[in-house]
Amino acid sequence: MLLKLRTLPAFLCLVFLLAFGSLAAAQDTESFLEGQREMLSGIENSVAGLETEIGHQSTDDAELVDIRVELERLGREVFDASLAFRPRLSEINTRLEQLGEPRKEGEPPEPEEVTRERTRLLDEKASFNVLIGDAERLSVRIKTVIEEIAELRRDLFTRTLSRRYDISAAVSTDVLGEFTQELGRVYTRVSAWLSFTVKYRLKPLLLATALASIAALALLFGGRRLFDDFVEPDRSEQNPTYLSRLATALFSTLIPSVSYGTFLVLSYLFLDYFNLLRSDIAPLLWSLFSVIILVYFVYRLARAILAPRRPNWRLLPVRSQAAQWLLVLAVVTAVATGFDHFMDQVYSVLSSQLSLTVATSLVATVVVGLLIMAIGAVRPLEDEEGKPRQWPLKFRYLLFFIGAAIIIAALLGYIGFARFLSQQVVVTGAIIATMYIGFLTAGAITSEGAFAHSWFARRLERHTAFDETALDQLGLISGMIINVIVVLIGVPLILLQWGFRWADLTAWSYRIAGNIQIGSLSFSIMGIVTGIVVFVVGYFVTRWFQGWLDGKVMARSRMDSGVRNSIRTGVGYVGLVIAGLIGVSAAGINLSNLALVAGALSLGIGFGLQNIVSNFVSGLILLAERPFKAGDWIVAGAVSGTVKKISVRATEIETFQRQSVILPNSELINAAVGNWTHRNKLGRMEIAVGVAYGSDVRRVHEILLEIAKSHPMVLKNPEPFVLFAGFGDSSLDFEIRVYLSDILTQLEVQNGIRFAIVDAFEAEGIEIPFPQRDIHVRSGFLKPEEPELPEDGETDDLEEETPAEPGAEKVVRRRRRRKTDPE
Amino acid sequence: MKTMKKFVYAAAALLVTGGAAFAASAVNLDSEAHTLVVTEGGSQTELVVGAGETIEFCAAGCFVTMPNGDREVLSGSETIEISGGKGRVR
Repeated sequence: MLLKLRTLPAFLCLVFLLAFGSLAAAQDTESFLEGQREMLSGIENSVAGLETEIGHQSTDDAELVDIRVELERLGREVFDASLAFRPRLSEINTRLEQLGEPRKEGEPPEPEEVTRERTRLLDEKASFNVLIGDAERLSVRIKTVIEEIAELRRDLFTRTLSRRYDISAAVSTDVLGEFTQELGRVYTRVSAWLSFTVKYRLKPLLLATALASIAALALLFGGRRLFDDFVEPDRSEQNPTYLSRLATALFSTLIPSVSYGTFLVLSYLFLDYFNLLRSDIAPLLWSLFSVIILVYFVYRLARAILAPRRPNWRLLPVRSQAAQWLLVLAVVTAVATGFDHFMDQVYSVLSSQLSLTVATSLVATVVVGLLIMAIGAVRPLEDEEGKPRQWPLKFRYLLFFIGAAIIIAALLGYIGFARFLSQQVVVTGAIIATMYIGFLTAGAITSEGAFAHSWFARRLERHTAFDETALDQLGLISGMIINVIVVLIGVPLILLQWGFRWADLTAWSYRIAGNIQIGSLSFSIMGIVTGIVVFVVGYFVTRWFQGWLDGKVMARSRMDSGVRNSIRTGVGYVGLVIAGLIGVSAAGINLSNLALVAGALSLGIGFGLQNIVSNFVSGLILLAERPFKAGDWIVAGAVSGTVKKISVRATEIETFQRQSVILPNSELINAAVGNWTHRNKLGRMEIAVGVAYGSDVRRVHEILLEIAKSHPMVLKNPEPFVLFAGFGDSSLDFEIRVYLSDILTQLEVQNGIRFAIVDAFEAEGIEIPFPQRDIHVRSGFLKPEEPELPEDGETDDLEEETPAEPGAEKVVRRRRRRKTDPE
Repeated sequence: MKTMKKFVYAAAALLVTGGAAFAASAVNLDSEAHTLVVTEGGSQTELVVGAGETIEFCAAGCFVTMPNGDREVLSGSETIEISGGKGRVR
């Protein structure tokens, strides 16, 4: 009862709120619903419009691509519009849950407001669901239309290539007359436009041309300045390296082509901007410009590869005369293809007869076919005797085959196919050749030492702190970058040639940037690249911070070098881990996945990684506890030497013989480690010395103490001590014990003290003994004392030996003595 | 060289640990199987989620109809919890 009383106010409050709030909410929801509904119906209308447009434009590829891009945009809009329902829906769901289930029969009836509110919410939800269902249907519809477009475009492409024209009309003699007539019409139109423009619009014309020229000149001179060595190579250079020949070919093709191309494109754009282009002139000018760019590009490329006048710069090993021929043939092929392309545009602007188009294309393609076969027939190579030799068999047949295919297709009336083929040969061939040079350049740069010896590297070396190894690595990276750039530029260009549209490519790149799904695994390349970039940036920031902390902050606070090293290393690892984590999350990888990896790892640690982890943890303890630091002289087991570096797994110790010993950290933690220089470098050193029995020991003590005290590197406090250590076998033993401020100088001090001792003892006449044994020889009355003399063997021995030399006698005596004296 | 090595390790680790995620998932908390209707890329499929099961689907946006008839739109990284036949986006 008490409980009920307490909940009653809350319940009333809820009812109250619902009653008031629902009115406002209802209006709000209504307007929101209305907005979404309108948006969706707007999208639906656009889709319907695009669908009818497809019917009209089914023969224009570019138009179809545009429609598809628009449809994809609409699809995203539908999706976003439906996503906007989510907060509302979850709100409704929460409120429905708060209201609870409707009361069943037999239970007390609930307040009317609650029932009403529930009904309202359910209604709202139902209308949301209806709208989302509409959006779903719309999105399916859009997808279907997009697939339809893809189907249409495939058909269109096949139709263009497989359509057969009647060429009998094209070969009549009238065609020539018509052709000259059309040329006359072009002349009239162009001259009319030109005279009008010059007369009335001279200023904008000049301005447009000037602006384009400025831009192109900037590019040309900028490029020349940067890559001068490549564009115009030094003619006197007798033996250019492979890399410089390749780079020269690449840059002397690209830079002038890009400059002139920019000039033409910019001129067109400026003319268009100033409204100087008439609707009939614009396509003509555009196609003329593209043809010029194409021919120029092919010319530069062929010249760069063949270098007819400079045999030592030639990339292809062909004869000079053949190089000249090949250059001419390549350029003429490009001109023929370009001419065909341009005339096609002219005819479409002038709406000429089809027979004229067919005739021009027929002639142009047959010419291209013949030229390609002519290239195959040139004898460019040299055999062993220096006589001209033909191309390798396969290459020659390939050229003949392509040329014949073009000619046969054209003669059979498949003009579309013949044109496609000849255009592919010229344009795709040129692009692939350029890409190939690019790849070769990248390969040559990557090869060891090539980059380090190039002029660019030499310039870098002069101005930066790069050494040869760094430059070599830089060469590796630049080779990779060149490869990537070549692919990024070349592949889209080739795809554009093959009938793909720019919009296709952008759509693909969006898809690549988005998620890629392989089976149940899905990832985004963009995400991973972002993650890696973020990690690399984080890594360098860490390095910089480390350097700054070490060089600026800790150096100034006069911190101990060992502590500095510890902090440096610690900061480095922490930074690396943080950079890794940020990189992983930037890559969009759910960190909870790492939990799985950690679980798997912990099992592995239990078995295989035990040692590694133990060393790792020991390394962390070493960094934190610092029983020794870099530069300390430590003794660990059999190893004694200076600590060079404490890494996370092992510690590097350099012995005094300059041998590097890599000691696993766990051994340094688990076993006793002696550190000579732990808190300070103070240490005691002992020198043992012995004097002969009979020396004046007090005088000796005095002398030794004097020597120890007078050495400049011996500490006064604790003061030196001389120990009378014992009575040795052959000497009276003393020991000098001195304290040094730096134990590492002990060798020097030992030397000094020992020299001083020898000098002083010599002056005082004190003897430093060495182990000696006195031999006492007893002779004369040995025989009567010998009880075993009567025995034969011994007597014989004696008798034999006695008359012998004195050496032999001694041997016997010694033996005897040994017998009597067991000492 | 040492830094290069570290890079390679880190990149490898990144690639190994990455690769997963990026899909919406559905968790069935009920003791009976439920069916979701998923429309993705123009095609409609019925997805059966067994009792207590978790499945991943819908990599790049889809429409979902819950067992109780509610409709939802997923952008591809959400988790749906199904309890008592009701689906809820987390």
